[in-house]
Amino acid sequence: MISVRDVSKIFNAGHPNEFTALHRVSLNLPLHETTVLKGPSGSGKTTLLGLIGCMARPTTGRIFVNELEITSLPERFLTEIRRSTFGFIFQQVNLIKGISALENVMIPAYPTGEKHSLLRARAMEKLGMFNLDMRAAARIECLSGGEAQRVAIARALINNPAIIIADEPTAHLDSTLSREFMGIIKELKSEGVTIILASHDPIVYDSDVADRVVEMRDGKVIKGGKRP
Amino acid sequence: MILNPGILALFITSLLISLMTIYAACHGIQILRRWDIASGSELQLILERRTYLISTIVTYFLAFQLVSLFLFIQTADSICHLFVGAMCAVGTLTVNSFGYPTLLLKVLTFIIAGLWLILNYADNRGYDYPLIRAKYLLLLILAPFVLAETVVQCFYFFGLTPDIITSCCGTLYSQSARGIASEILALPVIPAKILFSVSMLATCAAGMRLFLNGKGVYRLAALSGITFVVSIISMISFISLYIYEMPSHHCPFCIVQKEYGYVGYPLYLLLLSGTVLGLGVGLLQPFRNKKSLEHIIPAIQQKCAGAAVVAFVLFTSIVSWQILVSSLKML
Amino acid sequence: MANVIEHHRHIIDFTLSSLLRRKGKNGALLLVYAVIVFILASVLFFSHALRREANLALSESPEIIVQRTMAGRYQTVPIFWSDRIRTINGVISVRPRLWGYQYDSVFQANYTLTVPAEHPPEPGSIDIGSGISRMRGAYPGDIISFAGHDGLPRSFTIRNVIDHESELLTSDLILLSDKDYRDFSGIPADQATDLTLRVRNPREYSTIAEKITRMFPEARPILRTEILRTYDALFGWRSGLIIVIFSAAIFAFAVFAWDKATGLSAEERREIGILKAVGWETSDILLMKFWEGIVLSLTAFLVGTILAYAHVFYTSVALFAPVLKGWSTLYPVFRLTPFIDLGQVATLFFLTVVPYTVTTIIPSWRAATIDPDAVMR
Ligand SMILES: Nc1ncnc2c1ncn2[C@@H]1O[C@H](COP(=O)(O)OP(=O)(O)OP(=O)(O)O)[C@@H](O)[C@H]1O
Ligand SMILES: [Mg+2]
Repeated sequence: MISVRDVSKIFNAGHPNEFTALHRVSLNLPLHETTVLKGPSGSGKTTLLGLIGCMARPTTGRIFVNELEITSLPERFLTEIRRSTFGFIFQQVNLIKGISALENVMIPAYPTGEKHSLLRARAMEKLGMFNLDMRAAARIECLSGGEAQRVAIARALINNPAIIIADEPTAHLDSTLSREFMGIIKELKSEGVTIILASHDPIVYDSDVADRVVEMRDGKVIKGGKRP
Repeated sequence: MILNPGILALFITSLLISLMTIYAACHGIQILRRWDIASGSELQLILERRTYLISTIVTYFLAFQLVSLFLFIQTADSICHLFVGAMCAVGTLTVNSFGYPTLLLKVLTFIIAGLWLILNYADNRGYDYPLIRAKYLLLLILAPFVLAETVVQCFYFFGLTPDIITSCCGTLYSQSARGIASEILALPVIPAKILFSVSMLATCAAGMRLFLNGKGVYRLAALSGITFVVSIISMISFISLYIYEMPSHHCPFCIVQKEYGYVGYPLYLLLLSGTVLGLGVGLLQPFRNKKSLEHIIPAIQQKCAGAAVVAFVLFTSIVSWQILVSSLKML
Repeated sequence: MANVIEHHRHIIDFTLSSLLRRKGKNGALLLVYAVIVFILASVLFFSHALRREANLALSESPEIIVQRTMAGRYQTVPIFWSDRIRTINGVISVRPRLWGYQYDSVFQANYTLTVPAEHPPEPGSIDIGSGISRMRGAYPGDIISFAGHDGLPRSFTIRNVIDHESELLTSDLILLSDKDYRDFSGIPADQATDLTLRVRNPREYSTIAEKITRMFPEARPILRTEILRTYDALFGWRSGLIIVIFSAAIFAFAVFAWDKATGLSAEERREIGILKAVGWETSDILLMKFWEGIVLSLTAFLVGTILAYAHVFYTSVALFAPVLKGWSTLYPVFRLTPFIDLGQVATLFFLTVVPYTVTTIIPSWRAATIDPDAVMR
């Protein structure tokens, strides 16, 4: 269970450009389910995903991941949790140019100090899941958009995360590739991975993969979540 | 002042180090005053990020301080013939009254910085920054010593005027020889040997005990401190004699020279690390009851104790080996 | 433990590959860095080698030298002084020496002429230093001529070319017999250039020196230790001065390094953001920056030092000889004996690596604390 209790996020607090991106949001997201956050641009979806994914800390309120309160942990502990529990798929593919697809997939596991050969084998296996093993040595610049997206997914899976967070994953894909992506999500879901997506793409939130759709507007949850 | 490259290097470095320390201490003060772990404010986030900067600075400081300690001795040795009567670093350090204080401050700041890093290591493992106050108070203790070292070193260097031939008269009628300081310090050999063996044995035993069943923390810390002092005294009173194979050259510095196979470097490095680790064990003890460190501190203490024992044992082995192969035979 | 090593290995691998990906920027930094190390190392090695050569020479020189001054100028010493000085307690022997300098206007070189104590050449033959031999193309058996004090040329047969550990001191040397030297320089038979003393006990040096001045008020006794000190202070001072001048260069370099380190390109910021977002911690990025500094510093340090070594000891400081030794144009070519010690390397480290590292600490930390959620925006 991921539970968000009364969380607010204020940017630039105390400055003239102070901005409340999230306003006392409460949510309970059960594990092994797929949740889609939906809402207009600027409604705070990315901000909420960042807080859940231990990328940033809320200004007030608490977030629990599997009963562990992550809100007041020092950064190094947050990173540890982020690395071991979450896998991220971003709006842009955010791969590092100039190095191979394989290395890109391995990067999230470097700080764990795992043995190189084991790590490499696992990265190949993840690439294999998406029929990319032939492209492992290719540089990122040489990959097609769809291939790059799949490399990014493989990277999100390298540490065998329990939760996958995807922010607008289909924004840069055409509808065929978007459907293909939802197919992959469906497969992951069937393996018991918890998935949280943010999107305003109907292909995502109307798909039968979504167990629940949470609607947001102006930093508040207006439908689907546990209301405060 | 002598415009020797080594002196310039030490001078520049100590200025840089002081600047870094002042910078770190200023941030330390802010952390002490504004720290609020419960707050989600941006200020708290900034302060937390600064802790990374400060620990980076102290880590580099430790490394530079170590090199500067040895360069200081090396430089003092290399310019000794500029002073009438000085035969090695001992003589150069006694040219004015700031030489030994500089050396002492260098050693002291090295030890404090080492202790700070041990505290930092423990703190980083607690999920609620349990030692943040202790850590930054210690930093504020370190800072004045670092500044003092820079100032004293400055005085020392500026006070160095070489005795050179002037054009008006040929000979400088030399003052009496320098370099007697260490002879005064030298304890008679047999008591020194007994003292050295006893303190080393006691320290290693205490270390082993702590390593095996976690007892006797303060004992190890106290003994490490004592052993450090005793080892330095022993170095002057008998260890150096065996290394130089001369019955009267009581010098703790020449052993870092090439003639003696640079044996001084590993010796002092081991002695300093053993001491820092041993003292660190004691420093952590008062924080053992912090909830987030309950299991962490004993583990760290155990590790430190083990490492300290290894360092001291290696130190003693090198010393014994030097005594064994030495052609000098004394009781 | 294995984990820690593997962790470092991964990060080093990544650091190397990212350094190679930005060849332009890092290449420029490396070049400037290596040049700075090269210049400083050349100065250090050179002055140190000169000092060592001087020490080597002086270690063979006598403990006490007695000169004579008149109205503050040097004069030749009457030989009868030596018999009087020998009576002083503690003096083992006194020897009058004959030596001097000679300027050769044809070859524009300065020679040092000496009458050696042991095995002097026969009258009419001489030994010459390797520098002179090289310059004049003269080898054993050849006949060579020099202009004497009265401007008239005198010719000699070359007996030997002197080979010696320290080339600086012997390369301009000419050894000749007592008789030839007096003829060459015009020093009368009852005079000598100076007197050298051997003394039994080093503690008596100053007392003996005092007794000599009492005996002959115009005598000027010089102790070997004093000469050593003076030379040393001079060489150390010279290189120190040059380093002070170059510290402006070091400072400029620090500014340059700061600029390179703070001016992270958008691409680099994005990369660090990605690394942090996918699970790298601030200290991992700091570690990466640490290794980056180590790799750059080590490379620049090694390249700079090795080039400086070659520059000083194989090309005799060809690049800035005119700055370092004002007399070089008057001096025959010489080669220094290769010699480096740990203290010099540590000094060099403190003059280059430490300023570089200090200037990069804060920029690295800034880079390492980029928000991990930056890539989500
Ligand atoms: N670091 C920041 N500083 C200031 N304001 C910010 C910051 N990050 C986000 N915001 C603001 O917070 C609001 C919510 O942003 P967020 O990215 O969460 O929206 P979103 O729902 O993901 O929108 P989109 O669908 O366009 O991605 C926006 O108005 C944005 O301008
Ligand atoms: Mg968004």
